[in-house]
Amino acid sequence: MQAVLFYALAAALLVSAGLVVASRNIFHAALWLAVALFVVAALYVMLGAYFLAAIQVLIYIGAVVVLAIFVINLTRTVVGAPVTLTRRWVIPAALVSALTACLIAVALAKSGLPGGPAPDTAGVDWTAALGRHLLGDYVIPFELVSVLLLAALIAAIAIVGKDREDEK
Amino acid sequence: MQVTLTHYLVLAALLFCIGIYGAVSRKNAIGILMALELVFNAVNLTFVAAGRFRPAPDAVGQLFALFVIAAAAAESVLGLAIILAIYRRRVVVNADEMDLMKH
Amino acid sequence: MEIAVGDPVTLAVLVPLCPLAAFALTWLLARKRPAAAAALSLAAVSVSLALSVILLAGQVQAPAEIRADLPWMPAGHLLIRMGILLNPLSALMIVIVSAVSLLVQVYSLGYMKGDPAFPRFFSYLSLFSFSMLTLVLADNFILLYMAWELVGLCSYLLIGFWYHKPEAARAAKKAFVVTRVGDLGFLVGILVLSLLAGTFDFQEVARFIGAGSVPQGQVTLVVLLLFCGAVGKSGQFPLHVWLPDAMEGPTPVSALIHSATMVAAGVFMVARLYTIFQASADALRVVASLGAFTAAFAALIALAQDDIKRVLAYSTISQLGYMMLALGAGGYGAGLFHLTTHAAFKTLLFLGAGSVIHVLGTNDLRRMGGLGRRMPVTAVAFGVAVLAIAGIFPLSGFWSKDAILEAVRSSGQTAAYAAALGTVFLTALYMSRLFFLAFTGAPRGEQAPHESPAVMTVPMIILAALAIGLGVIGSPLAVRGIEGFLDPASPRPALDIGMLLLSNGLAAAGIMVALAVFGPWRTPASLSRRPSGPFHAVLANKFYIDELYMLVIRGLYFTLTRVIAWFDRHVVDGMVNLVGGASTRGGTLLRRTVGGKVQGYALMVTGGTLAVLVLLLLAGLGVFGQGGGGR
Repeated sequence: MQAVLFYALAAALLVSAGLVVASRNIFHAALWLAVALFVVAALYVMLGAYFLAAIQVLIYIGAVVVLAIFVINLTRTVVGAPVTLTRRWVIPAALVSALTACLIAVALAKSGLPGGPAPDTAGVDWTAALGRHLLGDYVIPFELVSVLLLAALIAAIAIVGKDREDEK
Repeated sequence: MQVTLTHYLVLAALLFCIGIYGAVSRKNAIGILMALELVFNAVNLTFVAAGRFRPAPDAVGQLFALFVIAAAAAESVLGLAIILAIYRRRVVVNADEMDLMKH
Repeated sequence: MEIAVGDPVTLAVLVPLCPLAAFALTWLLARKRPAAAAALSLAAVSVSLALSVILLAGQVQAPAEIRADLPWMPAGHLLIRMGILLNPLSALMIVIVSAVSLLVQVYSLGYMKGDPAFPRFFSYLSLFSFSMLTLVLADNFILLYMAWELVGLCSYLLIGFWYHKPEAARAAKKAFVVTRVGDLGFLVGILVLSLLAGTFDFQEVARFIGAGSVPQGQVTLVVLLLFCGAVGKSGQFPLHVWLPDAMEGPTPVSALIHSATMVAAGVFMVARLYTIFQASADALRVVASLGAFTAAFAALIALAQDDIKRVLAYSTISQLGYMMLALGAGGYGAGLFHLTTHAAFKTLLFLGAGSVIHVLGTNDLRRMGGLGRRMPVTAVAFGVAVLAIAGIFPLSGFWSKDAILEAVRSSGQTAAYAAALGTVFLTALYMSRLFFLAFTGAPRGEQAPHESPAVMTVPMIILAALAIGLGVIGSPLAVRGIEGFLDPASPRPALDIGMLLLSNGLAAAGIMVALAVFGPWRTPASLSRRPSGPFHAVLANKFYIDELYMLVIRGLYFTLTRVIAWFDRHVVDGMVNLVGGASTRGGTLLRRTVGGKVQGYALMVTGGTLAVLVLLLLAGLGVFGQGGGGR
């Protein structure tokens, strides 16, 4: 049962990801991205990371993809025209990614990963554990991430904000 | 058939490669960013799966994934902001045409 | 009569130093003052002559080997010493050198009068005197070689004295280069010998060789190498080619250097090192054969020359061959005796020729004729010299030449003996030809001849007297004879009637033939006509040796230089250009990576990271040696 679900989700993920990179229409690509991210969230649920799945949907899909669509709309004049993928970069790109795949495959093959099923975690409260980590051992990274987000916020405003000159 | 760690890792790897391919070959700058999102997600998937499949499973994998999400979000926002700023100045959105920094 | 004037060593050291001082002083003080320069030179060489005579007298009285040296330079485990070796041979040589130098310098007062570089000429003559005197007094190979080179340098300076004349400059270069070839062999020989013997000193080396510890083949090789120097310096075949060209220099130079002294250095060297040479019978045979060949060879060429100085140059080569022949055949005393008499009459011949040239302004025999009437002193002196060189009894040349013939005959080398006899005939022939063409018959060129000034004729007269009377020192009239003086083992000089008849008969025959062909009864027109025919052509063109050499040089040397030039242009420069070009092109290539396109950068980042990861993986797998994970 689990296996079937996994393979279904895996297929969905790969297909939607492929469409993200291959769609001519950028808007469609954004939408396919949303689908892919959603599938990832489902996989998180399968792995028991409920909190993470929720965050994934909330932030990734809810914020990042939405923002991407906003920017797509704002840069629309060029969107309509059918855009062909540059021939120039396709081959090197394919090459590099294929090599990366091989690399990972080899690494995986040579590594001694545990081959068994997931250990039983029936009674584990992941969310609580996460919370304990965040405010316990990993409180400093937690705070730093806040700072990072603040910095990103300010930077974004600075970059996109109106220039004084524009107002004249 | 059992779903093992290897399954998840392979899936993540494939997602990773798709993302790289897209990042390098996509012409639209926003498209590049979206492909990068796929890469981040692949990484996250790896982390979470690894954490889950340990002999003594803990939440550290999820923790890392959480941080990655946060950082990725920040990065995406900024990337999009830059694209917008460039667009304002030069009305281009194709990475090919954003080559003012060339030597 | 006892002669005890001062310490012989001091005197001997002063002999070369006086001309050296003259040279230095002339350059410092008298560069623009002809009179002063001449005075310095003459004074110096007169002092040298006086001292030399004293030393010679001392040696005649009591022949001894007097040595003195100073430590000069430590070289490894060797200590090179510099010093003088005064013995009968060197005493004789210093007298010859300084006497001829003095006479030539006096002569030059007249010959070089008015020449703008008069002081420079005399300074060079003094430098030469110094070098030559040092050469004959040296007691070790190093000093000998240094003086040898210095003498060569002086020759170069003096041949090319009129350096704006391209032929002179070329001749000076040729002399230097050709003798260099010989000097190279000489130097190698010296080094090998000194290496074997562990010393540079003549006497010690001679003792070492005499001890017989060196295998015969090596001895022969070393001796032949040393002989190379003599071949070059004394103009033996095949390094004779520079001597005729050296006639481009002023005639006093030819008289001093290229007849009596410098070219005799080769003969002297063989004599000086005679004990070493005697250690190899094969080498001596080579010396003798080469000498005999050279004598005949040069005599043939002299027969067909039209330039008065060239005839004399080839004559010098021929006579030097005689001396070498003598030494090679064991006639040590005879060879040196001839060196002495030759110095007198050859110098005289050159001075006479110079007198003619100075007055007529040309060297060409075909434009001379009938000079005997207008230049009587010159003509008579010249005639005396001709008879002397032909070996007519009782002039000096006869005694020394017959001594040589005697030595060669008793050595049993029949081919050399035959060549020597033939050369007697040829010598008489070409010298008589020279005399008849120049001094007898009707005048052929446009000329207004007059006798030369006294300053030029007096030295000639003195030399003529010597040419007549010098033979006495080797004749039965002398108590011991020059040969006995130099080599106590030689037999008492005796007059061999048979030899006398033979040599004088040949000489007379030569003179007769010359008289018939070139005598005063021939018309000017027939004498000026250039003879044709292949035989004459070969002789006149000196057997085409120069042409052959040039061919070889051009072929080998220039080909080599062309190859090297190509190499330099394409390989050496090519490498430099390659570096430059590579940098430029590499830079251009690399510039394309900074395209400004973000995808390119992304590609590079990804690719690079990939590469690093691959390497890490491989390292982990142990591809680069153990220490990896090796799962």
